[in-house]
Formats: sequence, structure tokens, C-alpha cells
Amino acid sequence: MALQGILVVELAGLAPGPFCAMVLADFGARVVRVERPGSHYDVSRLGRGKRSLALDLKQPRGAAVLRRLCARSDVLLEPFRSGVMEKLQLGPEILQRDNPRLIYARLTGFGQSGSFSRLAGHDINYLALSGVLPKIGRNGENPYAPLNLLADFAGGGLMCVLGIMMALFERTRSGKGQVIDANMVEGTAYLSSFLWKTQKSSLWEAPRGQNILDGGAPFYTTYRTADGEFMAVGAIEPQFYELLIKGLGLKSDELPNQMSMDDWPEMKKKFAAVFAKKTKAEWCQIFDGTDACVTPVLTLEEVVHHDHSKERGSFITNEEQSMSPRPAPLLSNTPAIPSFKRDPFVGEHTEEILDEFGFSREEIDQLKSDKIIESNKVKASL
Amino acid sequence: MALQGILVVELAGLAPGPFCAMVLADFGARVVRVERPGSHYDVSRLGRGKRSLALDLKQPRGAAVLRRLCARSDVLLEPFRSGVMEKLQLGPEILQRDNPRLIYARLTGFGQSGSFSRLAGHDINYLALSGVLSKIGRNGENPYAPLNLLADFAGGGLMCVLGIMMALFERTRSGKGQVIDANMVEGTAYLSSFLWKTQKSSLWEAPRGQNILDGGAPFYTTYRTADGEFMAVGAIEPQFYELLIKGCWGMLQFPSQKTA
Repeated sequence: MALQGILVVELAGLAPGPFCAMVLADFGARVVRVERPGSHYDVSRLGRGKRSLALDLKQPRGAAVLRRLCARSDVLLEPFRSGVMEKLQLGPEILQRDNPRLIYARLTGFGQSGSFSRLAGHDINYLALSGVLPKIGRNGENPYAPLNLLADFAGGGLMCVLGIMMALFERTRSGKGQVIDANMVEGTAYLSSFLWKTQKSSLWEAPRGQNILDGGAPFYTTYRTADGEFMAVGAIEPQFYELLIKGLGLKSDELPNQMSMDDWPEMKKKFAAVFAKKTKAEWCQIFDGTDACVTPVLTLEEVVHHDHSKERGSFITNEEQSMSPRPAPLLSNTPAIPSFKRDPFVGEHTEEILDEFGFSREEIDQLKSDKIIESNKVKASL
Repeated sequence: MALQGILVVELAGLAPGPFCAMVLADFGARVVRVERPGSHYDVSRLGRGKRSLALDLKQPRGAAVLRRLCARSDVLLEPFRSGVMEKLQLGPEILQRDNPRLIYARLTGFGQSGSFSRLAGHDINYLALSGVLSKIGRNGENPYAPLNLLADFAGGGLMCVLGIMMALFERTRSGKGQVIDANMVEGTAYLSSFLWKTQKSSLWEAPRGQNILDGGAPFYTTYRTADGEFMAVGAIEPQFYELLIKGCWGMLQFPSQKTA
């Protein structure tokens, strides 16, 4: 796999960090997830392919254990607010002095500096501060955050993977690690550069919710079907729009011009009335295989059974029979091989990891009895 | 810069490809954007750091020009539907025989195979087919696509940059390029793995728009201010929620977070 032999230490956090580390694990890195003793379980549920070490970083001897791990690792991924690692004597100056090849990735909401950098926040806050949130939402409604996908996962976790890959690649030339300030405000803004680049164009000339791409256009939105399901319409280009009209059984000469924005509200009502007359399956019969840019809005369950996903094997099942998306993108020679096993329990691999990193049996026992580490080895069933 | 000396040939497309190539350019790659003669301008507006070559790929001699460029390049990024490059005699077998180190990145909506792979589509279609669109939207409303950010840029362009970086890194060991099938349906689904992983948890037990993260909770949404502007509230944890209440009402008592 692409990241064979790369050792990652992930300090447990909520969603962005775990996703970042899961991607690295999927593509072949060995990931050690460091969790607080006493944590019940991994709330992120993104523990695929990782091993878990329960370690109390607040104790100086716990911090010292982490230091030893990082001395032999390629990547450290930490999600804490600016200054926290420094207070634990685990800042980049110290860890990179031990190991100049260490890539020190800091994934936060607001970044390592700036007036908001020590504050708490969540996806919606970072999305708001990035300038992107005000563009998203329907006409006449408040701005709407699309779950926690844009800041936590796209501008956060995925952007951080990118930074780590850039640093890993650069290290093959320089031999040195770097410090990465991956933060969700800037990551989400950068991801959405297109919005700034087209800010003055006709693409965004109307108020929120009345443009082509934000729900204003009748040909770029979702419609409810007779059976309470939904179809997605994305027929922007004239030739695709023609096929949409045809599939709906309408006549274009009886309709206003496609780009006549004043007529869009009326046209939406008209299209909605047509879509409401047939079921999702019937609409798929009509539009599947055409260039009308009309697709069903599949649920998380339906997508797994849809022909297109089935043909491509887009979903994987693990030993617990849970299904999730296969890692993307597909690499022809060194594809990702996501772990088939269940996610680790907290502290399940504490002892085996410390042993691998050169801790003696005595050291491990002492750390355990002093409650610096926690070991929750799963007993083998007889 | 991280990508000093890396040569990228980008075949012009709409938004995902240009964004992918712009990121590579930002981080130091030399990017050549190949556009159709007669194109008026780059609709993507994401041409930062690139140079532009106008070339007619449909002419055999035009395709031959591209072949020569790719023989000396590190990355080719093409956005066409499955089969188009093959028809132009510019498929991966040919270009990688010329240059085994070439990373051939194919960034599409539906992918290189599968029943939808030769169809037209846009962000909202890929988002719909990924399963993710069904989770996004307010209570009582139709599912809502957040502009073209999730499929075009996150699950598409950015995910493709990731694939290219993985391949570049792997090439430092193997000396060989790869073919990357980066498509927006799978990229968006993978980005959103958290949704499948928490599918059965209480996080999503209510219908769309009535959960914590999709607009159902009063402590995780936006509010309009007196001047017609908006504030974002994301106070999930009890200790943060307390501060929210304090900020809104001073020290007055108020219903507990779970019933508010």
C-alpha cells in the first residue's frame, strides 16, 4: 500500500483528527490512537485499522511515554487547542529535536494563532468564520450548515491528510519533518476558493438561495416524488436541460427561457407538480441512462444496493457486517486496503504497542500500576 | 516548496479538475492547462499559477502533441467521461508505456466503470448518488445541496489531490506511476464515512432536519440578528451550552438543554 511502513501517532479527538488518521490507516500506515484512560469508547467511530493505547498525557511520566513513541514515529497528529501540547512539554520544538524527521500535524478549528485560537468551537462555528456559511441556504431562510461535513471532514480532516502527504513527499527530498497548522476555518475557505474567485460573476448575483447553485434554479435542485422520495436535478447546460424537459413530458416552447431568473419560482412549482406524479422508481426508469442529469437521491441504505455502486464495489463490509464507503480515490497499483476488523476498544493494544516501541516488561507493569497507562486486552475466547 | 519540480498537465474541465490543479500549483508544481482553441476564458476562474496551452486534442496531431508533453511530465489530470481519452489514443496504457513514471489521474463524477459512468452529471447528482444528499436539509423540506462544495471540491478535486500525493509518495519507492480513478460519488461518500459509521447511533435517530447536526437542535444552528445578520451557535457540550445560555439571558434559569 502507498503508506506502507509509515508510523502515525494520533492523539484522540472528536471527528476531524480520527478521520484524518483513518484515511492514513486505510492507505497502509500503522496508526496508534492514544486515548485517555477511562474513556469508554471512541465517539468518532472512525477507528478502522487503528490500534489503541490508553495513556494519561497529563502526568509527566505519561507525556514521557508519548515522547518515546514520537521519537520513532513519522507523524504525530494532535487536535488540541493552541498551547496545550506546549504545556505538556510535548510541543514541536521538543519532539522534533528528538526526531527531526517527525511530521507534527496540528489539526484545530481556529488555528495556532489569532484571536480565536484558544476558544472552543464546532464545525458550524468554523464554517461561519470562514465566510462560506452565509452562501449556503434557501431563499428567505437562515444560512444552513450541511451537517459537519464541510469544516470537520473536508476543510479539516481531509485537508490535514493532504498536508501530511505533502510533508511526507517533501521529506523524501529534504529528510526533514515539518509542523503543519491545519485548521478548519482556513481549510474550508481554501476548499471553497471558487466562491471568492467567482464572487463578482453572475453566478452569485442574486441573494442567497436565488442563484443557480444554491437552490434558486428549477434545474438545479431536488424534487419530491409520488412516494415521498426525492430526485436530484442538475441540468445546467442547454442540451441537458432539453433532455430534462423531454423526460418530464413538457414542451420547451411552452416554458419560459431556462435562464429567466424571474420565472424560476413558477417553474419550480411546475416541475414539482410533475415530479409529484410519479414514484422514484418510475422517474429512474425514465431518466437512468440519459444525459438529463436527473438522479435518484439515495439513502445511506439504498446506495449500497444501487446498481452503480454494486458494479463498482463502492461499499465494503467488515467482520461486524457494517457497511461503509470504500476508501477513495482508487489507485491502480497500490490501492487502499481498509481493515476488515472491528474498531479497537480503548486501551486494547496498550501493552503490545509499548512492547514494540522498546518498553520493558517492568516499565509497562510500573506504568500500569501507577495508572499512567490502561490496558484493556480482550481475553481470547476459549 | 513541497512540489518543486513536479510537472502537471491539466486537461481543462469545469471545477473539480481546475481546483485540483490549482492546489498542486499553489504548492509548487508547474502546471500546464490544456484548453480547447476557441475557448473564451477559463470558466472555473481557478487558473492561479498555471500556464495555458491551447491545443485541439481531437486532431490526431493534437493528440500527438499531448503525448509528447506527457512523456516528460509527472502527472496528467483528465476530467473526461470514461472512454474519451482511449478514443483519442491517449489512454493510460499508451501514455504509461511512453512514460512508466506518469501518474494518470482521472477525475470524473461517476467513475471509470459502472452503469452511470458514461452519463452527464453535476455536483448535485453525484451527491445524490453517494447517499449523502439524503441526510442534508431542514425539517419538512427537500434535501438541500450545499452549493457545489461537497462533490465538486471536497469529494472531487481535493480527494483527487490526495490520490495524486499518495501516488507521488509511493513513486519515490517504486519508481512507477499509477492510474487514479478519482470520482465524486465515491469521494463524497468516503469523505462522509462518519455518517455510515454512526448510522445506527442516536446522532441520526430522528428524521432529516430534526437531529443535532442537521438543524434540529437549538444549540447547533444559525440565528438572525436585529440588523438582519446571522450568528452561528455550536454549543454541544454542557459546559459550552451553559456559556451560551449565560450570554443570551444573563444568569436567568432556563429549561435544560435536552428539552429546550
